[in-house]
Amino acid sequence: MLLRLNDIARFYGPRLVFSDIFLELARGDVLLLCGPNGAGKSTLLNIMAGLARPSSGTVLCDEELRISMVGHHSCVYAELSALENLRFWTGLHGLRLSDKELTGTLERMHLAAFAHEKAGTFSRGMTQRLDLARAFTVNPDILLLDEPASGLDEASLAVLRDETAAAAGRGTGIVLITHRPGELSFPGCRVALLENKRLRLYEDFDAFRERAN
Amino acid sequence: MLKAALIIARKDLRLTAERSAGLAQAAALGLLLIFLFSLSLVPGQRMSAQGAAAVFWMASAFCQVIIFGMLYGYEGNKGQKQGLLLAPIPVQSIWLGKALAGIAMLACAQALFIPAAVIFLGQEPGPAWKAGLAVILICDTGIAVAGSLTGALAHGQTGKESLLSILVFPLLAPLFLGGIRVGSSAFGGSDEATGDWLGICLAFDAVFTAAALPLFPFAYSTDE
Repeated sequence: MLLRLNDIARFYGPRLVFSDIFLELARGDVLLLCGPNGAGKSTLLNIMAGLARPSSGTVLCDEELRISMVGHHSCVYAELSALENLRFWTGLHGLRLSDKELTGTLERMHLAAFAHEKAGTFSRGMTQRLDLARAFTVNPDILLLDEPASGLDEASLAVLRDETAAAAGRGTGIVLITHRPGELSFPGCRVALLENKRLRLYEDFDAFRERAN
Repeated sequence: MLKAALIIARKDLRLTAERSAGLAQAAALGLLLIFLFSLSLVPGQRMSAQGAAAVFWMASAFCQVIIFGMLYGYEGNKGQKQGLLLAPIPVQSIWLGKALAGIAMLACAQALFIPAAVIFLGQEPGPAWKAGLAVILICDTGIAVAGSLTGALAHGQTGKESLLSILVFPLLAPLFLGGIRVGSSAFGGSDEATGDWLGICLAFDAVFTAAALPLFPFAYSTDE
C-alpha cells in the first residue's frame, strides 16, 4: 500500500469541508477524483501530498516514497528553457538524465522543438505539458494530478492518457482530479466522488457512470 | 543535502543572471549609501578607517535584504515552492542552496563596494588586508545563514516582508561589530584583537547554522 487515508476531516475555520474520508492507494492504481467546485478535491490532494494537514484523522505514507504533483500553479520557471526546467527538477530528484533523454521526454509532450526556448514564452497549454513532463519524468511512486487536462488540446490529452497509463504500468499510484472523468478514464481505474462533504468510491468508471445516469 | 543545495543555488544564480535587474538594484543601493556618506566629507578629507568599514557593512546589510527577498521570490509561484517541498531532498537543502547563492551574490556586490569605499571614502588597503578578506568571508557566511532563514520567514508575508527582514539587523549586530573592527584594520586602522573578533564571528556562524537547521522546516512550509 502506498498511501492510506484514515478517517480524514478538514475544516476551514468553522466550515467543515469534508469528513469521514477513508481511502487507499496501491501501486499501479489510478483513481479519478471528481466532485463539484468547492467540494475540497484540491485540499484532499494537498493532504495526500503532505502539503496540508487534516483537521483530524491520519495519513499513512512511507516518507521514502517519491511524490510528484501537478497543481493549479505550475512548477515551471519562466526564465529557464524547457530543457533547463527538466534538468533542474530531475537533478533535484537525484536523476542524472542526458540532454538526449530529456529531449526525448519533451518530444513525447510535443515540446522538443521548443526545448531551448524560455518557458515564459509558452502558451498555457505548453506550460501545462512541460509541467506534466516534469511530473512524469521524475518517475514518482505517487503521482497527484490536479485537473491536468486543463488547457490541453485533443492531441495533448491523448498524450496525457498514454503517459498516465504507462506510469500506472510502472507501478505508480495515481490520483487525478478531473471534472470530465470520461476523458481520462482507463480500464481498471477507480472513481471517487467528493460531494456533500463525503467521499463515495466506485470500483470502475462504468459503475460511476451508471450512478450518474 | 549539499548536492541538492548546489543544484538549487545554481538554478537561483541562473535566474539572477537572466533577470539581472535584481542584483544590480541591490548593488546600486549599497553604492548609493557609500556615495551619500562620502558627501559628509570635505574635498580631500579621508574618512576614518572604522567609519569606512561601518559604511561598507551597512551597505552590505541593506544589500542582503534585497538579495534574500529576491531569492525566495523566485518561488513566488506556489507550484514551484510545492515542487521543492515534495522533492526527495532534506528541506534544509533549500535553505542552504539559497544561502550559497546569497553569498555569491553578496560577494559580487561587495566586489563593487570595496573600490567604492577606496574611491569615495578615501581609504587605502592596509597591511591587514588578508584579515579583511577573511572577515568578509566569515561575515558573509553568517549574513547568508541568518538571511536565508529570515528570507524564508518573510516570503509571501506581503506587508510584513520588509519588517521581518529588517528585524534581522539586530540579530546580525555581533557580525557587524566584528566586520567593522577587522575591516577597520584592513583599511589601515588599529589591528588590535583582530583574531578575537574573527573567532566571535565564526562562533556566530556556528550558532546560527545550528539554529537554522531545525527551524527552517517550520519557516518554509505550505500548510494552509
